[in-house]
Amino acid sequence: MRKSALSFIFIFIFALSLSLSYSAEKSPYKIGVNFELTGPWAEITKTLRNAMVLEVERINQRGGINGKPLELIFEDNGFEAGRAAANMTKFTKDPEVFLVVGPFEDTLQATTRAIAEREKITNIIVCPSNRVLREMKQRWAFNIAHNDIIVSEKLVDLSLARKYKKILVFHAAHPLAQTLAEYYKRFGEEKGLKVFISPETHKHTDIDMTPQLIKMKPIIEKEKIDAFYACTSGPPGPIVCKNFRALGIKIPILGTHAFGFGFIIALGGEAMEGVEFPGAKPVVFDQLDENDPAKSINIEFDKRWRERYGTPSDQIAGYGHDIIGLIEDSIKRVKGKVTRETFRDALENTKGFKGTHGLYSFGPAEHDGLSKKDLVFVRIEGGKFKRIRFPGFE
Amino acid sequence: MELLHIIPQFLISGLTFGAIYSLVALGFVTIARASQIINFAQGEFVMLGGMVTFFFIKNVHLPYLLSAFLAIGVVICLGFLLHLLVIYPLRKASLPILLLATLGASLFLSSSSALFFGTLPKALPPFSGKDLLEIGGVSLSAQSLFVLIATFFVLFLLYILSHYTHLGKAMEASSTDPLGADLCGISRHLMTFLAFGVCSGIGALAGIFITPLFYVSYHSGTLIGLKGFISAVIGGWGKYGGAILGGFILGVAESLSIAFIPAGYKDGVAFLILLLILYFRPKGILGSPFMDSRRW
Amino acid sequence: MVERIHQDFRKREILYSLALWLLSLILPDPQLHYRREYRLRWRDLFYLLAILLLPLLFSDPHFHHLMVLAGIHGILALGLTLFLGYAGQISLGHAAFFGIGTYTTAILTTRHGWPPFLAFWASGMVASIFAYLIGKPLLKLKGYFLALATLGFGEIFLVLIKESASLTGGVIGIFGIPWFRIGGFVFDTYLKQYYLVWIVLVGLVLFTKNLIRSKVGRAYMAVATSEDAASSVGIHVSRIKLEAFMVGAFYAGLAGSLFACVMSTATPETFSLNLSVLIVMMVILGGMGNLYGPILGAIFLTWLIDTLAQYQDYSLPLYGVILILLLIFFPDGMGTRLRVRLIYLISYWGRKKRREKVNL
Repeated sequence: MRKSALSFIFIFIFALSLSLSYSAEKSPYKIGVNFELTGPWAEITKTLRNAMVLEVERINQRGGINGKPLELIFEDNGFEAGRAAANMTKFTKDPEVFLVVGPFEDTLQATTRAIAEREKITNIIVCPSNRVLREMKQRWAFNIAHNDIIVSEKLVDLSLARKYKKILVFHAAHPLAQTLAEYYKRFGEEKGLKVFISPETHKHTDIDMTPQLIKMKPIIEKEKIDAFYACTSGPPGPIVCKNFRALGIKIPILGTHAFGFGFIIALGGEAMEGVEFPGAKPVVFDQLDENDPAKSINIEFDKRWRERYGTPSDQIAGYGHDIIGLIEDSIKRVKGKVTRETFRDALENTKGFKGTHGLYSFGPAEHDGLSKKDLVFVRIEGGKFKRIRFPGFE
Repeated sequence: MELLHIIPQFLISGLTFGAIYSLVALGFVTIARASQIINFAQGEFVMLGGMVTFFFIKNVHLPYLLSAFLAIGVVICLGFLLHLLVIYPLRKASLPILLLATLGASLFLSSSSALFFGTLPKALPPFSGKDLLEIGGVSLSAQSLFVLIATFFVLFLLYILSHYTHLGKAMEASSTDPLGADLCGISRHLMTFLAFGVCSGIGALAGIFITPLFYVSYHSGTLIGLKGFISAVIGGWGKYGGAILGGFILGVAESLSIAFIPAGYKDGVAFLILLLILYFRPKGILGSPFMDSRRW
Repeated sequence: MVERIHQDFRKREILYSLALWLLSLILPDPQLHYRREYRLRWRDLFYLLAILLLPLLFSDPHFHHLMVLAGIHGILALGLTLFLGYAGQISLGHAAFFGIGTYTTAILTTRHGWPPFLAFWASGMVASIFAYLIGKPLLKLKGYFLALATLGFGEIFLVLIKESASLTGGVIGIFGIPWFRIGGFVFDTYLKQYYLVWIVLVGLVLFTKNLIRSKVGRAYMAVATSEDAASSVGIHVSRIKLEAFMVGAFYAGLAGSLFACVMSTATPETFSLNLSVLIVMMVILGGMGNLYGPILGAIFLTWLIDTLAQYQDYSLPLYGVILILLLIFFPDGMGTRLRVRLIYLISYWGRKKRREKVNL
């Protein structure tokens, strides 16, 4: 009896299964979604997914857009560049997909942007853009998150409002954190602040930043620093705060907009008291101004979210809601058939779309939707997010 | 110079980490003393100790101490399961296969933890509130002291186990000379089984003590496991004292090196020390009682 | 429905696997044993034809992409098989050489404008130079210690890559690596890349085959069996081990170069311990001491990971469980005695019941 060649069995299997799985459906608007559904950000991307599903179901129940339903096709890229690229390619090769949403993480967006540009398909990216990518002036990539420029500008406003004169910045080793720190320094020094960027950095998987902070402690004491800017996102944020306080340093801490999550407070505990940062509107939506359109949209969305999922909504769910809203708005403005080209043009002409985060406006030179007005000052007090106002600095 | 003033602070954080690595290394050594298997899933037990405690506190609303005990119990059961399902079927297998099997088990444990407990990191409250001690300009958290105490306590227990109990001596015998142990009626597999239980218990204990200092998430086990293993090798493979010594050397060396080189290289320092020791003195600093027996 | 999840063809998969397992009874045997294997047989021609014709049968670009990846993994597994399978030494840091190859090509083509063809060979050379530097001290160690030391080297490599931002782009990596070109012919679609990768693989297989059947190959096997006996017949053991290490690294460097040109980005996260473990798994599953086995193991594992990916959350735990199960049930590799083993497993239970009946 001959022995078996297993590999050929399996080649045949998956090839056959692949060729059978892409049966085309004629009618709906197909949107590809390329998220990190496994990996360190899985819970956050799941919130995004749930938000998008909630909104799409609501639209479809009303009969869809122009009578056609929306359909989301989810692919997981496992936080790997190779798979993100593979998913993009898969979507671009399907002629009915006119838009790809994702990825969520900064390190993957360069790969997907390049493919979107080459294959001429719109790519809505959830994470902020950075300077390097903006300089490439890609036509097909759009970012819906608050970018580094507006976050830095808002933080400078916060520093001026609090009358800090000297600030020390400790940033993470990825490009977004680096550009956040650079812009903060540039804008701060234009307004008369003295900003020191520490040469120490940390990686976003580090669990202890005490060594770097120990090196910074003498500088803080010598230069009489007023405030400390923890320029990072994710778990390192609260860890830095914890380590900072554990070293007995008492100066106030500033954070980035990525501090606006419940788990950040849970992780940092006592050390997070008094931390201030420029937050997205959904973080404190019940404390927004009455005439702010975002407030009612947030309240309504939060109600729907709680009914369906039972938990409070957050800024990530807000992004999900806004993405679908933007898509619906753009499709409605397309005159004629919705193709990749026409959709891109419609999206680029979005002006003043009202979402949970604020007003989105795009333009040929502006592929980041939000502006400085869509951030508010937030302070962590008593384990909760509290909005603080500084008249004249809003 | 500035650096000289802050070196004591680095030493303190180095000692804290040293205690952590020592605890993990003790787990490795326990298994090695019973069976000469290297359990790459040790780090995962540490992670699971913290995770399961958090689960009991948050989801089942049990008090801290009870959750901790239950968590240790759960992890010990997992250790037993690991032995039964992975190590025992592979008892006759060659080296690379055992290696990969424990690596596969480690992958399974960390990704299942992501599945059950979510991927967001979790924190535990420190044992005694937020006490911050200040000794001569150096800050020290009470939790670090607890970790140090725990390390020596576990060392003490293991010492008694291996030198003064019948069971401990049987475990050592089955590792140094399997054939002789068989002839004496000591069941090697039972020894290994029990050793896995002990080592996972130590790991869980370590996890519970360590988590309040930082946080625990599904991927925090892997690196700690590797560094614990390196400590065990550095200090003297197979000796409890060696594990402790290696742990502290690694912890202090890592922390002190940050004073002089950029912080990103910290992990590289650990592996560099490993390579140096393996090259110049593979038996480890204190020497190893196992290097001459058959498996090596 | 609103979402489409690819779970609807699980049942189809099982059906196909059964049907094709029956089909596999007539397919040729991939295992090479002893002297008979070294001559070219019909089997080799069959495999060659299959490799050349397969992508034309299935024109799905995802299939092509997967096979390109499988081919690259195959080259990696082939390189490691010399070290692990034939010379019997464990290396858990092989992904580092892969990474060295990728970054060498990335840096040479983007910063210095080298043509990819030259960068390809340069990557192999650089990887084997590193192997020489690392191997000289490391290969004195044996068993667990060698595994640990290579693991340590792999991690150090990763840390160095992430830290030297000026050379390697740090955590971000390097973008914009150009497609592979020979003369004017650009390999820009997955189909063309498939042929590129697999023709390189075929060439390397021929080279390796010759290597195995030469004096060098026999020396490797001698060292694996017993180092003392080998040195007693005059084989310079440490030099042989170093050579096997360097050749393995050379292949990994070539594979890395191809990977860079296929992905057009180089990021440090790819070259982690997980990848090293994967490559070792491919060699072990293919069977140690085999030439075609690891390549088939590479195809199988690449396909497995892709299929598991659709289960999203469960993909990694499933992968861990499957890994352990494969190691328990197929320690000699999957092709060997597969049928026998399955029949054994099924009949084991029957025999156990019979035994219980007898004992009563």
